[in-house]
Amino acid sequence: MTPRYDVIVIGGGHAGVEAAAASARLGCRTLLLTPDLSRLGQLSCNPAIGGVAKGIVVREVDALGGLLGRAADAARIHFRMLNRSKGPAVWGPRAQCDRGLYPRMVRQALEELEGLELFQEMVTRVELGGEEGFGVETLGGLRFQGKAVVVTTGTFLRGRIHVGTGTGISGGRAGEAPSVELAEALEGLGLEMARFKTGTPPRVDGRTVDFARLKLQPGDGESFRFSLYSREASLPEKPCWTTWTGEGLKKVVQENLQRSALYGGVISGRGPRYCPSIEDKVVRFPEAAGHQVFLEPEGLETSELYVNGLSTSLPADVQEVLLRTVPGLEEVRMTKVGYAIEYDYFPPHQLQSTLEVKGMPGLFLAGQVNGTTGYEEAAGQGLVAGANAALKVQARRPFVLERDQAYIGVLIDDLVTKGVDEPYRLFTSRAEFRVLLRQDNAASRLGPLARDLGLLTFRQERALKERLALEETVRVWFRDTSLSPEVANQVLGEGAGEHVSEATRAVELLKRPGVGAERLAEAGGGLVEAEGMRDAMVAVEVEVKYQGYVAREVERARRLREQADFQLHQDLPYRQFVTLSMEAREKLERIRPGSLAQAGRIPGVSPADLQNLMMEVRRWKKDGQPRPTLSSSPASPGHSERNGE
Amino acid sequence: MANADTIVALGTPPGVAALSVIRLSGPSCAEIVRRICPGIPAEPEPRRAMLARALDPDTGASLDQVLVTVFPGPESYTGEDMAEVSCHGGWLSPALILEACLCAGALRAQEGEFTRRAFLNGKMDLLQVEAVLDLIESRTPALHGAAVHQLERGLSRRIGGLREGLVDLEAMLMHHLDFPEEDDPPVPTPRILARAGDLVGMMEELLRTAPEGELLREGAVTVLAGLPNSGKSSLFNALLGEERAIVTEVPGTTRDALEAVVSLGGFPFRLVDTAGLRETREKVERMGVEVARRYLRGADVILFCVEAERALQVSERRFLDEVAETPVVLVRTKSDLHAGEEPRAPRGPEPLPEPEGAGHGIEGVVSLSAKTGRGLEQLRDLLPGLAFRGLVSSGAEIPVLTRRRHAGAIGVALEELRAFVEALAGGLPAEVAATHLRPAETALEELLGVIPREEVLDRLFQDFCIGK
Repeated sequence: MTPRYDVIVIGGGHAGVEAAAASARLGCRTLLLTPDLSRLGQLSCNPAIGGVAKGIVVREVDALGGLLGRAADAARIHFRMLNRSKGPAVWGPRAQCDRGLYPRMVRQALEELEGLELFQEMVTRVELGGEEGFGVETLGGLRFQGKAVVVTTGTFLRGRIHVGTGTGISGGRAGEAPSVELAEALEGLGLEMARFKTGTPPRVDGRTVDFARLKLQPGDGESFRFSLYSREASLPEKPCWTTWTGEGLKKVVQENLQRSALYGGVISGRGPRYCPSIEDKVVRFPEAAGHQVFLEPEGLETSELYVNGLSTSLPADVQEVLLRTVPGLEEVRMTKVGYAIEYDYFPPHQLQSTLEVKGMPGLFLAGQVNGTTGYEEAAGQGLVAGANAALKVQARRPFVLERDQAYIGVLIDDLVTKGVDEPYRLFTSRAEFRVLLRQDNAASRLGPLARDLGLLTFRQERALKERLALEETVRVWFRDTSLSPEVANQVLGEGAGEHVSEATRAVELLKRPGVGAERLAEAGGGLVEAEGMRDAMVAVEVEVKYQGYVAREVERARRLREQADFQLHQDLPYRQFVTLSMEAREKLERIRPGSLAQAGRIPGVSPADLQNLMMEVRRWKKDGQPRPTLSSSPASPGHSERNGE
Repeated sequence: MANADTIVALGTPPGVAALSVIRLSGPSCAEIVRRICPGIPAEPEPRRAMLARALDPDTGASLDQVLVTVFPGPESYTGEDMAEVSCHGGWLSPALILEACLCAGALRAQEGEFTRRAFLNGKMDLLQVEAVLDLIESRTPALHGAAVHQLERGLSRRIGGLREGLVDLEAMLMHHLDFPEEDDPPVPTPRILARAGDLVGMMEELLRTAPEGELLREGAVTVLAGLPNSGKSSLFNALLGEERAIVTEVPGTTRDALEAVVSLGGFPFRLVDTAGLRETREKVERMGVEVARRYLRGADVILFCVEAERALQVSERRFLDEVAETPVVLVRTKSDLHAGEEPRAPRGPEPLPEPEGAGHGIEGVVSLSAKTGRGLEQLRDLLPGLAFRGLVSSGAEIPVLTRRRHAGAIGVALEELRAFVEALAGGLPAEVAATHLRPAETALEELLGVIPREEVLDRLFQDFCIGK
């Protein structure tokens, strides 16, 4: 008898593990299938988690009960708060992690979850099932059945690796086989596919690096933790190093350009503009004197270094020559070659905001298969897809995050409405409501949501409760604590305007530019140091200092949501709406947005089209067309088709 | 409904005329035209006038000899398939052909529907739509010129440029927030502030055209004031008389004044005279200077009539004190009665003997005889420079904001941009300051019609006459 599951997750990368964990936390019987159980949550590219915008996603995933932040905390060997000198809304926490330890931490976290089974097999087939659900078949000839399936196969679908022009090895990652049969099976289901490329730099032996010629980049020593729920002990720290490329490297690249897979004409897929290969940098900015290179530790127990900034698809011999032109790397030995990889992805317009494939109920896609890059982007999608797969099986309302709620909401909305024309990465620029979507308030933004949905374990719920209580304590302290003039002026003395002559409430002092919450709390006394205190301080500081701005953004978000309320039914006959431009009709037919606001974000749908669309929809409704029931769910404009099934 | 409607309307006013044009727009244009004019080939050459006989589709009776031109979409005014039928003017021919089109399946166009469709099909932005309206309604060369400029996207380009400038600002800020570890250093704040300052300047420049721009559509309110028998009515009639052909009398708009819009020096003026109501007002308390006070508040120019060679009376001086904020032309009336005196300089302000001119808004003195017409030309030359000072001096350099909606939107954008500058210069974090940029962009996008707002559209399209 074929084993039956509620949810089957195919793939054990960042998307897969979050999907499986979310599904299991929601109480579904879940199976995760992956070709290699020792590589769960493998850090395939640089061994760093977080960064600008991405770091906020880590905290969002964590607030929603995910694994990413917890594993990063446990495996972290270097930490920096990027943009620390800028406003708190754009702070970007980033951790270098021990590449070997990280997957073990992920596995440990997964094994704590009840109802989740891990199984090592490569999937070769997925069959759309009727009442039986989906049939999933593996290379070893095993069969499983699932009511819902989440596909998170990363770069493995028909992956092809290039080191120079002569290679072109089939592979999903260096040394790992690609999924060719599964790609064909999914294509056979009617999914549209396209091709992207990305790349990774060489790794080098740290024992052959002349550190005296490099610039040390120590961690910033913060006791920061991504995770709200875990208290893992911190590992010792290992530094990063920086150096600059020069004329020598430029010459090597220019002379060997035709031997690069990217420039030798072997690769056709589009790569990310923000993560260019060294070939791209030299070709596109020939006047630049040099480019920055970061040497990042691969782990505590190894001297291997990741050469960030030198992603390349040049042949192996050229890579070593090229490395040796860089100051500090004159005698370096390479441990792994850099390579470019081409892979299939599913253009994400085929998805709803739940990451369920349109027209294929129960089939979900998440992660790099949707045309994104980045561990964090993958994890965020995985969590949303896994949660929705579980909710679908349980016949519950779908879970959709809006653009003003989370970077994950921005990410998924961008994917399903705008599609991708290069591997998609999150930036703070993509968010309209940066001031609201901060790393410090992820817990209060998303924690209660996760709790109400059932996404948190009992322990997580308790930790959330404590954190929310702590934030309230801090808020109340600032509101109710008065500082004597002596104490207050001592804080103000550091150049924050006129001194006060009588006792002043802390909140009033905090409004002054240059006065920090931590400094005030320290001077005022009475707040006990606690886990999460720093986040709570920052949150209160932002609330107080930028009060007007935060209020304005909340109001703007509310107005935008009103527009989002003009819902577009999934059965609209777009082809018949001849007052719309041909392009708009095609795009709308294809993407089937859930709301007018979403339609407006589709490239190629002009304002005029939106106007027409509104009128066509009104006419369509008025003309007594059978008007199928709209979704009962106000939370998800993208899911109105659910009731129409 | 599988197809959009094909609409039809008369493009020219009904009445006796040499020609009349009937326009159609929509997918069945060609079919409808061929039903009325069976002689037209099945695939007519686009944009080429064809001579044809128009027949009643039911009876086959001949209606008129017409010229038919087809404009296949999207290269047409509305962006849809269109056709124009030129027939003989008059009361009957156009009406019969219009009727025939309706019989053949066309629907009567709603007000402004052609232009509405052009907008919705992306052929025009909102500013251009407004320009079409202004163009149709313009009675003065100045409004006409502004409307043509606007129709040719002069204003749209300027607004679009401002919007791009705002996007640039955001990009400059975000560059270093999103890429803190890249090779390039952050864009220095002073450079961002300088760029923002440029945009502020450009918005202010545009906004400055708004008060006069709005007057282009409404006419500058020009109030005739003066003691009884000071020659106001004669002046009113003289100014009207010269421009009789394009004067519109505005009867019944008020009960205490006569109004007429008149083009002087190419600009519209709305003359207001209270003289016609003198008799009925006799019982009412006599104001020193006879004028409906409520007009004064809205006056753009005051023509203050005082008989030539007479010193100003106390009540007249008091009046001038009251209106010191408004440009006043002192019109020395009945100058023909003082024919013996020296002729005055042909133009330019006459120096005012103290203390009459001190502290008042008197911008010019014209010696005028309504009877001989002497001084009228001088007055006509003087007025545009007073009511439309900015437009006269800037010429056609700057696009003109002719509607309150324009000024409102740019005002919002400017306010947000100033707040942005203040925030950034005041040391607020970039992403906090940047919260002012999107609302500014949104305001400009709405101005161009980039964001759907049905109320705006509805109000806009109500103002249209059929066939445009």
